[in-house]
Amino acid sequence: MLSPEQFRERYADTLADELPDGPVTSLRSLQYLYGKLYTLATAGGGDYAAYLTPDEAGDLVDSEDSLIVVRVDLSGNEPQLATDDRGPVWVTKYTDDRVEKVAHCKYPAARGIDHSVTHQAGRNSGPEKLARYAKERLTKWAKDEVVQEAATEHEDGYIVEALAELSEDEATLDAIEEAVKRELAGESTTALLTVQVKVDPDGDYLWPAERDVFLAAMRRRKLSKLVTKNKADDSSGQATDIVTGASTRTVGTSEDPQNYYLGKQLEKFPGLDIEEAWRTHPISEDAAVTVMNAGTFVEACTYRTFGTKVYCLPYVWGTISTSDAFDLYKLLYDATTEDDGMTPIERQYENRNTLFGDAQLRFYVSAVMPHQMSRYDVFGETLNGRLLYPKELATKHNQLVQQSAAFHSGAEWTPPMPTHPNWDLLAGSDEQLHAVSTGWYFAQTFAQRDDDDADADDPRIEALVSVLSGDAISVETLLEEYVARIITEQTDDDVEGFPSFRVASQFAQLCALATDKLDLLTSDDAAKEPITREPTYDTQTMEPPTDILAADGGHPAAAKLESFIEDTPALAPDEDAPHNDQRRGAFLLGALVGEIGSYQEYDQDRSTTLVDQFPVKSITKSRIKKVTQETIGKTLTYTRQEKKAGQSYPGTKAEHVVERLRETILKPDPDEWDLDTDDLRFYYALGVTYGMNDHPEWDSTAIDDTEEDI
Amino acid sequence: MSQESLDEWSETDSDWSPERCLSLTVRGPWGHFRRVEGNVVKQTYRVMPRTTVAGLIAAVLGIERDGYYDLFAPGRSAIAIEPVRGLRTLNMPVNALSTAADNLKSLNSRGKLSVKLPDPMDLRQQHNYEVLVDPAYRIDVALADSETYRELRQTLEAGRSHYVPSLGLSEHLANISFHGEFTIEEGPDDTVVSVDSTLPNAVDDVVLDSDTRCGIEESPAFMTTDAGGRTTTAFTTYAYNPDAEPLRVRNMQPSRVDGRTVVFV
Repeated sequence: MLSPEQFRERYADTLADELPDGPVTSLRSLQYLYGKLYTLATAGGGDYAAYLTPDEAGDLVDSEDSLIVVRVDLSGNEPQLATDDRGPVWVTKYTDDRVEKVAHCKYPAARGIDHSVTHQAGRNSGPEKLARYAKERLTKWAKDEVVQEAATEHEDGYIVEALAELSEDEATLDAIEEAVKRELAGESTTALLTVQVKVDPDGDYLWPAERDVFLAAMRRRKLSKLVTKNKADDSSGQATDIVTGASTRTVGTSEDPQNYYLGKQLEKFPGLDIEEAWRTHPISEDAAVTVMNAGTFVEACTYRTFGTKVYCLPYVWGTISTSDAFDLYKLLYDATTEDDGMTPIERQYENRNTLFGDAQLRFYVSAVMPHQMSRYDVFGETLNGRLLYPKELATKHNQLVQQSAAFHSGAEWTPPMPTHPNWDLLAGSDEQLHAVSTGWYFAQTFAQRDDDDADADDPRIEALVSVLSGDAISVETLLEEYVARIITEQTDDDVEGFPSFRVASQFAQLCALATDKLDLLTSDDAAKEPITREPTYDTQTMEPPTDILAADGGHPAAAKLESFIEDTPALAPDEDAPHNDQRRGAFLLGALVGEIGSYQEYDQDRSTTLVDQFPVKSITKSRIKKVTQETIGKTLTYTRQEKKAGQSYPGTKAEHVVERLRETILKPDPDEWDLDTDDLRFYYALGVTYGMNDHPEWDSTAIDDTEEDI
Repeated sequence: MSQESLDEWSETDSDWSPERCLSLTVRGPWGHFRRVEGNVVKQTYRVMPRTTVAGLIAAVLGIERDGYYDLFAPGRSAIAIEPVRGLRTLNMPVNALSTAADNLKSLNSRGKLSVKLPDPMDLRQQHNYEVLVDPAYRIDVALADSETYRELRQTLEAGRSHYVPSLGLSEHLANISFHGEFTIEEGPDDTVVSVDSTLPNAVDDVVLDSDTRCGIEESPAFMTTDAGGRTTTAFTTYAYNPDAEPLRVRNMQPSRVDGRTVVFV
C-alpha cells in the first residue's frame, strides 16, 4: 500500500477524476469512497489489483509455517507432484515479498474456498485440516465450475486442466496429505495454502501471480459471486446503481465489508426470490467490487467495546475535495498501519491541526454484535457522528472536576464533592477522550454487565452512540444505571465503605452531559427537566478566595451548602420546578446521614453507622419520613452528649443541614411525594457523599486511599 | 425545488407546475422504514422515504401494489416531507423465522396455487429491529392527475382510507390528520433561507452551524415496474434536522405552504 506521501505524489493530478462526484450520503457511498482510495493505493498489482485482498492475511507475514505450497510439475508428459529436493509440499514463511506472488483473494464464506488458488486457513488449524485444504487446491479450486470456465477461454488454461486432472489421482492426494503432515510434524499453524507450478523443464517453480490464468480465474470467480451466491443462478438486471445513480446492469448478491446485506435473508426480496435481489439492492458490478475493497480500511477503523464491534468511519461532509481526500487517505493509512490503540476519533483529534482544514468531518458509527457469519445485530448506528461532541464532553468533564467549585474549594473547607487522583473521572485525565470514544466513560458509572453477552438495549452502547452523534441520553436511563451501580457496590463486601467516589464520578458525568453547548440530556418528565440544565458552579482559580465566610458571617459549611444547592438546577428552590423540593429533601436527608455517619465512624469509632443502617436501596418514598425522624433523633442525641461534655455551639450538630432539611422535608409532606425512586435514591446518595466529605480541609496529601478502587 | 427535480420535470412534463397541494400529518407510536443497505440488519431511515409516502397515499386511495408509480413519477407529482417530532429510535428485538431456502416449506406444492412458508414449528431467532419512536411527518403532496388529486382530497376530508395506513411495516399503524388544501406560493428568494421541511439533494448547500444538528440519508424516491417486479429509478438524499427544527440552506428556491417553508421533490 502506498504511503500517504507516495499516494499524494502518484495521484496529484489525477485523483480528482477518480473521486465520486457527489457527497457521501449512505453507508454504501462511504464504503465506495474507501474502496476507491484503497484500490488506488494498491494499484501497483496491475489489472487485478481491485480483485485481490493482500491485507487479509497481513498478520501472518513473517510468522513461522505461515505458507504451505503444493508444488506441481507440469513440464513433463504427465502432471505430477514435484520430485526435486524441496519435495511436493513446501512449508515456509509468508513474507512481504510473497504477498504479491500468492495473489490472495479472500472469500468470506463459511464452507467455501477463497476465490484465488491461494486459500486462507482458519486460525491454528491442525495438520489434518491443513492437509485437506492443501488437497482442495486441486480438488475444489481447479475443478470449480467458474474456474474451469475461465480456463477454457485462457491460453494457459491447460495449467488449470492439469491440476484438475491430477486431483483425480488418489495416490497424488495421499502423497499431498502425507507430505503436509510430515512437514508440520503434528503441529497446528495459521497459514495460507497455495500452489507452485513448473511449466518449463528448465524453468523454476512459478507462483500464482506469475501465470495470468490463475488471476483471470480468480477474477471470474469473484465476479460470479456478485450474481450467483447462495443458489442464485443470475441475480442481475437493469436498474439504478445505488452508489452512482447511473442506470446500468446491477447485481444482487454482492457482499459488503460489514455484512449488512446477505442473499440468505429472503424476507426483503420480492416474492422471496434471490434472483430478484438486485431489485432491492441494485449495485453495479464495478461499484460492488469497489465496495468490497473497502474492507481493509473499514476493519482498521473498528474497535471492540462491551462485547460489540464498533465501526467508526471518518468521512468529509459534502462532496469531497482532492485535498480532503488526500487527508482522508492519510488518516485511513495510519489507522491501518499503526498499532497504537487509538480510536479514529482520537486519531482525528491528534491530527486536527494538519488535516482537513475547514472541512466538516463526520463519522459513520455503529455498534455491531456479530452472532455468526451471517447473523448480525446492529445496536446503534449513525451516519452523523462528530468529533465535536466527544471532544467537548471530555474537555468539559475535565474542567468540571479540575476547576469547578463543586469539586474544588481552594479554601479551608472541603468542596461539595470529593476528588481522587486515581480516579480519572474525579481527577481529570488526558485519556478522557479515549474513555468517551470507547464507551469506557460510561462503563465506569453505569451498572456492570457481562460483556460476553451484550444486549441489544445495553444502555452503555446506547449512551456511547448518542454521545458520538450528539443525541441526547434520557435522564431516566442515567439515574437507573447510576443507582443500580451504587446499590451493587454498597452491597458488595469487596467494596469497603460507601462508594463516594463512584457517586461523585456519576455526578460529574451528569453535570458534563448537561452542559448547554452539548445538551446531551433529555427527559419527557417535567419533574426531571431541571436535571438536564447546566449547573452554574463558580470556576475556582488556584488562589484561595480571600473571604470564604458567608456575607452574614455564618459558618463556611453553611455557605458551601447554600451555594451548592443554588448552583445545582436540580436542587435549587424553583417555583417552576416543584419537584426540586422533594429532590432537595432527599439530598439533604442523605447529607445529614452522611454527616452523622462520618461522626459515628471517626469520633465514635462505630463500625456500623447511619450510612450502613440506611443504605441507598432502602430509600423509598414511604421510608423517607421514618429515616428522617431517626436521623434527626440521632443528631439530637449526639448534640446533647457533646454539649454535656462541654462543647459549645449554637443549635444542633450539623445545624446547617438540619435546619434546611427541616424546612424542606415538610413542604410537601413526604407522604405526598411523587418523585420516582431512582431520582430519590440518586440524590440521596449524592447527599450521603456530600455529608461524608463535609469537613475542614485537612492536609490534602492525607487522602484516604483505602476506599474502593476503580 | 431542487435543481435536479426541475430538470426532471422539464424533461417529462414541462407544462405541469403544481399550484395547490394537500397537507396532512401522519403519525404513529412506531415506524420502521427498512434501509435498503441492510437485510441481515434491520435499520430504519429517519425520514419517511418518498416511495413510502407514495405507497401510503396509494393505500388511502385503494391502489394496488405496483399500481401507483406513474402517479408519483417525476414531473407528475411533488412531495415535501417534514418531521414534526424529534426523530428518536430504539432497538426492538423481534422473534423471526428463517427465510433461507432450507427453512422454507411448500404449501400445496403440487396444486395450482402454491406458496412457500417457513415452518411455524421451527425455533425462532431473535433479531433486532431499529424502530422510530413516536414518528410524525407533515406531508405536502401535489399530483398532476387532477382526478386522482380530487379523489384524494375527498377521501382525506372524509377521514377515510381504503387500506389501513401504516408507517413502513404493516404492524406500525399510522394515524392521518388532514390539514386541508393550500396554495403553493413562491418562497423567500434570499441567498440563505430557513426551511421547515427536509432538504432534498442539497448536502453541499446546507449551512452548518454549531448548535444545529443536521443528518443526511439517501433513500429511494421513484420507482417503476416491469414484468418481473419493481425497481427504484432514482434515490434522493435528504438533509434533515433530527430535532425537527428548520435547517438553513443556500441556493434553493423553496415554496410556501400554509405559512411554512418547504421544498418539494
